[in-house]
Amino acid sequence: MSTKLYKDIRIIVFVFFMLAALVAIYPSYDTDGGFSSRLQYGLDLEGGSRLQLRLEGVIAGIDADPSEIVRKEFSDAFGEVEILDQSESDIMFKIVGAGTDVEAEETPTKEEIEAIGYGSAFVRDDEITLTTSREYAIQTYLSKHLNCEVIYLGNDGYDLYEIRSTISKSELVDVLSPVGGSIAKDIKGKPVFKEEVTKKTQEMTKAILNEKLNIFGLKEIPITPVENNILLIDLAGIDLNTAQEIVATPGKFEIRIYTTDNNTTEHVVWGEHITAVDIPRERDGGWGIGFTVDGVGANAIRDAAVESGAVDDPAAHELVMLLDDKEIYSAPIAYELADNLRALYEKDENVPSYGLVATTGSGEEGRTKAAQLQVHLRAGALPVEVSVVGSGQVPAALGAQFKEQTVIAGLFALITVALVIFLRYRQKKIILPMIATSVSEVFMILGFASLVGWQLDLPSIAGVIAVIGTGIDHLVIITDEVLYEGVMPSLKVYLSRIGKAFAIIIAAAATTIIAMSPLLVMGFGALKGFAITTIIGVLIGVLIARPAYGRVIRELLE
Amino acid sequence: MSTLNLVPALDRYIRAHRPEQLVVPPLIVLAIALVVLGGMFVSTGSPVRLGFEFEGGTMITLATDDSYEVLAAAFSEYPVIDLLDSGNRRMIKFGPMSEDEKRALVTEVNSDYGYATPEIKQMGAVYGASLQKQAVKAILISFVLMAAIIFLIFRTFVPSVAVVLSAFSDIVIAAAFIAITGIELSLGTVAALLMLIGYSVDSDILLTTRLLKRRGNLDDKIRGAMTTGMTMTSTTLAAITVMYLVATYSYLIVPTFPQISIISDIAIVLIFGLVADLMNTWMLNTGILKWYLQKPKTRRNKR
Repeated sequence: MSTKLYKDIRIIVFVFFMLAALVAIYPSYDTDGGFSSRLQYGLDLEGGSRLQLRLEGVIAGIDADPSEIVRKEFSDAFGEVEILDQSESDIMFKIVGAGTDVEAEETPTKEEIEAIGYGSAFVRDDEITLTTSREYAIQTYLSKHLNCEVIYLGNDGYDLYEIRSTISKSELVDVLSPVGGSIAKDIKGKPVFKEEVTKKTQEMTKAILNEKLNIFGLKEIPITPVENNILLIDLAGIDLNTAQEIVATPGKFEIRIYTTDNNTTEHVVWGEHITAVDIPRERDGGWGIGFTVDGVGANAIRDAAVESGAVDDPAAHELVMLLDDKEIYSAPIAYELADNLRALYEKDENVPSYGLVATTGSGEEGRTKAAQLQVHLRAGALPVEVSVVGSGQVPAALGAQFKEQTVIAGLFALITVALVIFLRYRQKKIILPMIATSVSEVFMILGFASLVGWQLDLPSIAGVIAVIGTGIDHLVIITDEVLYEGVMPSLKVYLSRIGKAFAIIIAAAATTIIAMSPLLVMGFGALKGFAITTIIGVLIGVLIARPAYGRVIRELLE
Repeated sequence: MSTLNLVPALDRYIRAHRPEQLVVPPLIVLAIALVVLGGMFVSTGSPVRLGFEFEGGTMITLATDDSYEVLAAAFSEYPVIDLLDSGNRRMIKFGPMSEDEKRALVTEVNSDYGYATPEIKQMGAVYGASLQKQAVKAILISFVLMAAIIFLIFRTFVPSVAVVLSAFSDIVIAAAFIAITGIELSLGTVAALLMLIGYSVDSDILLTTRLLKRRGNLDDKIRGAMTTGMTMTSTTLAAITVMYLVATYSYLIVPTFPQISIISDIAIVLIFGLVADLMNTWMLNTGILKWYLQKPKTRRNKR
């Protein structure tokens, strides 16, 4: 061949990638004489615990008439309702029959109506006008009767809601039937009901778990979202009990209020009474987070606001939020809220639940703060219930043995391969480059793994084995193709033969990569490492290592 | 190497038999394998025994010398369904438990019971079932994509079908082997079946390319491809066998070494799949190609 070996592009590329892999792996011996590198190992080699959490939720399309919801809800509370008028944003009605809570024919007050929770009310004589929307009415109705948070997702030909609880289709139908509602059907006529949560909810749950793990001093814990409702958490060096405790135990969230002298605070309510947290929204130019407290929480806030004097002088008696005893937010009560709370206090009426908004200011800063506050409010509760669907624990000592043993298995396998190759070719000049190429492929896979910081686990090692196997196969194909008559042919013939060999191995590599690809996109968490290693390994082999081998054996056998 | 010595024998066999005769034995084996899988499916509802990952449950592996009786007594409060050895460790399998029971069990093995280094695996039945569906889907999609690529590469019907059929047969025979030996389907065995798709087509592509694109006497070309193909399969087979032995039996030499079940599972399935591949490549695939290339019409087109 005309060019010198070290000037050949295949060799240059090969050497470059080997050096890059060396830098990426960065092997070294530390002071204790122990081997260390930048390679990261997965749980099954390092020891620790793994949790597979399923986020319990349902995404469903709902068909319901808001006036029917209003009719049912207000009849239950005050007596038979007659709907007078209905528009996009208002429903006008009056109470005509006797109810259970209030004496017959007496029109409830604005506060009593608003306490039911369907929007703001305007009362004139016996006519009540409720400002509400279809989405809001349905959302509130479902949330009350299913006892969980419900989020309106938008209209996709039908109203789509995320119901953050485990409910069955029939439970949902049962809740909807008293108001004449039903589960919406898609174009194909199939009911829209999926047991999953939105990507957003999954992301939010992930963010909150991260926050919690940070509070426990566990940094950079990999949480991998899988499909639409699974989160995989790998906790290195932690046993399963501790792992489950951390994930299952909510942070301690508390609301306190400044008392008279404005220097001491008093307990108002614990985070467990926060039943729902909205996403950050912009209102009148400022950002804020809406959240809902249950009856106990609402009464506690009402009493605290009045008794501390906050309703008269909000600025002097700010509400403070604490997470694990750290202050994360404080703000005065809005005047409108103060008036509302005072009115409720004077009537000494029990409030079933109450929606509050924590404002965080305007602009980008306000938005960021709102997002943080959302996570903090959530630290009291994950947005959805989670159930542990799978878990595992590998003790560190066992992981270390696995590691040692896989290295031994790999070495023995390599020696065996060398032996078989020797029996076939009986030429050092073929065996050495072949084994060296195979080893270099493994080295480059490890380099890649350490570069992108992905953790090697047992399935990835199985992938490495698969690559060694196909790699040797391909080297045999190259060798046999080139040495068809047993000796190195002329340059022209060599070039055509190497072309044929690569046609075969590229076809074989393409099939392997394609065969592995479903594992990449499917949420098969555990086999993803296997698929990635195999695909990367095959690519490294075909594009970098095997071309160099083809060039080297020509040089050696000429 | 014994597989290498197979070349002259197999070569003689191929030269001495007509293509129809070559394809019959592999097809019989394929049919038997299909019957086995079908029978398993009819009698148990699943073609192979489902392992813990797909069926759900709890598995605890302890480093202990305690007898089965002692262990059964120690965990009598929990639904122990099976006790077995995994290397020189003991593995206890539990049936379905409530969330609280699972927690209590984990706490017990990690602290109260005092066994060193327990390995724990838990899988919910529902998630296991969805994993099962995904595994089937993964294998099916892999296979279909592989078939599409093969047709794209060769662009001729019969040779492509031959490759796809041999790959299919490899997988079916390996699966039937899993079913007969009572190995449980685990993530490892699924990975192995997918690997098999890759390994299986390697030698088939080699064979098909050599026979279709090279000039020369057909039987000589088959022999040439066989020399290369047998080397490929025997190196892989040798490496995998060693992996299997180390992952499964090294505790006999170094008592502290555990069994690495995922590697052991992958290896045993591949060993059988590769043996099936030897037969399918050199009898089934070769037989079909020989018949195809010896047809008068094809010969005219090719020469």
